[in-house]
Amino acid sequence: MSDTTHNQETLRQWLLSDRPASRRQARLGRAYIIWQRFSDNKLALLGLMIILGLIFVAIFADQLAPHNPVQGDLRNARLLPPGTAGYLLGTDDQGRDILSRLIHGSRLTLMVIGLVAVIAAPIGLIVGTVAGYAGGYVDAILMRITDIFLAFPKLVLALALVAALGPGIENAILAIAVTSWPPYARIARAETMTFRNSDFIHAVKLMGASPFRIVLVHVMPLCTSSLIVRVTLDMAGIILTAAGLGFLGLGAQPPLPEWGAMIASGRRFILDQWWVAGMPGFAILIVSLGFNLLGDGLRDALDPKEAGQ
Amino acid sequence: MQMLSGNMMRMLMAGAAVTMVTAMAPQAFAASPADTLVEGFAIDDIISVDPAEAFELSTAEVTANAYSLLVRLDPAKTSEVQPELAESWTVSDDKLTYTFKLKPGVKFASGNPLTAADVAYSFERAVKLDKSPAFLLTQFGLTGDNVAEKAKATDDLTFTLTVDKPYAPSFVLNVLTSTVASVVDKKLVMEKAKPVTPTAEYKYDTDFGNEFLKTGYAGSGAYKVLAWKANEAVIMEANPNYFGEKPKLKRVIYRHMKESAGQRLALEAGDIDVARNLEPGDLDAIAKKDGLATVSAPKGTVYYISLNQKNANLAKPEVREALKYLVDYDAIGATLIKGIGEIHQTFLPKGQLGAIDDKPYKLDVAKAKELLEKAGLKDGLTVTFDVRNTQPVTGIAESFQQTAAQAGVKVEIIPGDGKQTLTKYRARQHDLYIGQWGSDYFDPNSNAETFSANPNNADDGKVKTLAWRNAWDVPELSKETADALLETDAAKRAKIYEDIQRKVLAEGPFIIIFQQVEVAGYSKKLKDYKLGPSFDTNFVAPVSKD
Repeated sequence: MSDTTHNQETLRQWLLSDRPASRRQARLGRAYIIWQRFSDNKLALLGLMIILGLIFVAIFADQLAPHNPVQGDLRNARLLPPGTAGYLLGTDDQGRDILSRLIHGSRLTLMVIGLVAVIAAPIGLIVGTVAGYAGGYVDAILMRITDIFLAFPKLVLALALVAALGPGIENAILAIAVTSWPPYARIARAETMTFRNSDFIHAVKLMGASPFRIVLVHVMPLCTSSLIVRVTLDMAGIILTAAGLGFLGLGAQPPLPEWGAMIASGRRFILDQWWVAGMPGFAILIVSLGFNLLGDGLRDALDPKEAGQ
Repeated sequence: MQMLSGNMMRMLMAGAAVTMVTAMAPQAFAASPADTLVEGFAIDDIISVDPAEAFELSTAEVTANAYSLLVRLDPAKTSEVQPELAESWTVSDDKLTYTFKLKPGVKFASGNPLTAADVAYSFERAVKLDKSPAFLLTQFGLTGDNVAEKAKATDDLTFTLTVDKPYAPSFVLNVLTSTVASVVDKKLVMEKAKPVTPTAEYKYDTDFGNEFLKTGYAGSGAYKVLAWKANEAVIMEANPNYFGEKPKLKRVIYRHMKESAGQRLALEAGDIDVARNLEPGDLDAIAKKDGLATVSAPKGTVYYISLNQKNANLAKPEVREALKYLVDYDAIGATLIKGIGEIHQTFLPKGQLGAIDDKPYKLDVAKAKELLEKAGLKDGLTVTFDVRNTQPVTGIAESFQQTAAQAGVKVEIIPGDGKQTLTKYRARQHDLYIGQWGSDYFDPNSNAETFSANPNNADDGKVKTLAWRNAWDVPELSKETADALLETDAAKRAKIYEDIQRKVLAEGPFIIIFQQVEVAGYSKKLKDYKLGPSFDTNFVAPVSKD
């Protein structure tokens, strides 16, 4: 027992050591400090729990859902209120269990934000770091392209793209990705500008590193933390945009249980059967809240300006 | 932490916006006046209130209440017509000439006397203007060149109409009950007519008062149209010169209200007396509420799923039959269209001459599977389904998607707005399509012609009926449909339509699901509020108010 405590104490000291003996120790130490700061923030932990819960539900949707999400019982189980035996959150206008649809819908939500993050963040990072490091004409051209994208409201541009590509969840993801990279490019460029004339970059340059290597190996890693914060904070917006497209009939198509589309189809019953639109609304609210809390917590934890305090 | 609360605010508001995006604020109007009938009605389809131009559902109601016809559909017995402006009529032995004797002493709202010359002028302007409803008259062989000769006043009170073929008189008279045959005030319209420069398409030097009548009025009906403001209101006032029974209320206002929920709230608050576009849920709620009541009447519109015969799988007779067994008619009737439709599987709506009410199909997955196996599609098939994103068709399409999946038929729904889906349908590029067909006039030919006639199945065919749109090549049935028009004995004519309906029901590429029932919720303060059997027989003149 005392042995473990002792080990923990030394592990803590080892992690917090002022003079790390190896690169690995320094990195782990830094991660530990970040985690400590993050876990001090109770709301951020709540956000993390929500997101982990979402991921868990999405992975085990088949086991968790009590009913088939796309096959309803129109004849006997239409518009049942929440709490009816067998239908915890009630049923929709096709007699489908809302809880099962929400559970399966979490996969779509996660897929949308996951794919958007995977597509948009690297594009923004590359455009931003290249523009920031290269400067001159390259910078001007890349940034003007970014400005063009930023000139349109996000949802309007996404709407136009989906209208051109045709409705569907894949096209909705593509449209959201195309409209969400410009802010990342801006952030990455601003960060890169602060590093490009610093000593360590000059040092690497003197050692003969190519611009490609400098951007990829030395600039990009420094931009990632602020990018992660921004992407996490944007997740709620992405969910809302996807739900908005679904609501307008341009995102996921029936019978897919996408949350926005569920709200749209429940809208007709809002006066008498509030739960049909209300339940997916709450789901969106909770998940958006989770991502925002997580993002806020991450920003506080990763902010280097607060690192010394 | 300050930033955190800012973010939280933003996100909470966004979440709330999504949840409440459609909650609508009840609009505050004063309670409707005692001498005025206020109806909440989606009137965004109105493009003109000129009876020679209007061909929209809500305009039909306005023109029917504001203009008079020679003959009018008998709301009590819809297979017959009753006299209105005409006192009596005769049909010549060769079935080509119809002679109408007009009632004497009838006056327009303007005070001008109504004579046979006004009737002839109304036919002439409808044919020469050649707007959307003109085909109703031109199908009798009337053209801009011969209309003055074929539809003419022989004296002040005698009007004769000559048609090009010996049609069934029931057909001709039924068509004359359409609003396009409304009689307009020749003197007033000629005063207001604007000169135009003739072109290749339009070779007359006058607009026949079309611009004036788009928003104006020159009729002799129970009510005068005072004003129509697009997407706002139609205001009508009692016509003091009306020749029939005097209307009970001084004014009738149709207020444009698009959403069912909004109409319901306004009706409950007393802002409107009648709500006209209610969905099943709101209808139920109104029926249960004290002081409110509902009324319904079957209309001449049928909803159907059609199967494009260009798709090799759908062209197999077994597949067509199998799909007819994959619609859960009973459940749809009891839920999705409860109160707004009645399950109906033949193409003639109830009430029309010769309509039958056979319902051989019901949901039978085992039978459908058997039929699919016979067609060599044991493993099922995949088809696309073009669906307009409005109710109730979306709900029905989703229900069909679920039941069809049980027999291995994978249905991929492609939603679109009305224009997108219709354009694709008209170009014959769909697999499945769900749509509705409303009779253009209250005669069986209107539906028979479109569901069972396809004179030329080529892609460039000129007669684009529903049978053509689904590439259903049926020369014999087309001939039978054409012959039915010339059968002068009404009973025999009805028999032919019964036969055609049975054939389409058994073999046709149409899964006809239900007939529309028009519903309205109204305040019990109203007396004698009724809906008629067609959109141009919803009369407001007998309505009174406590």
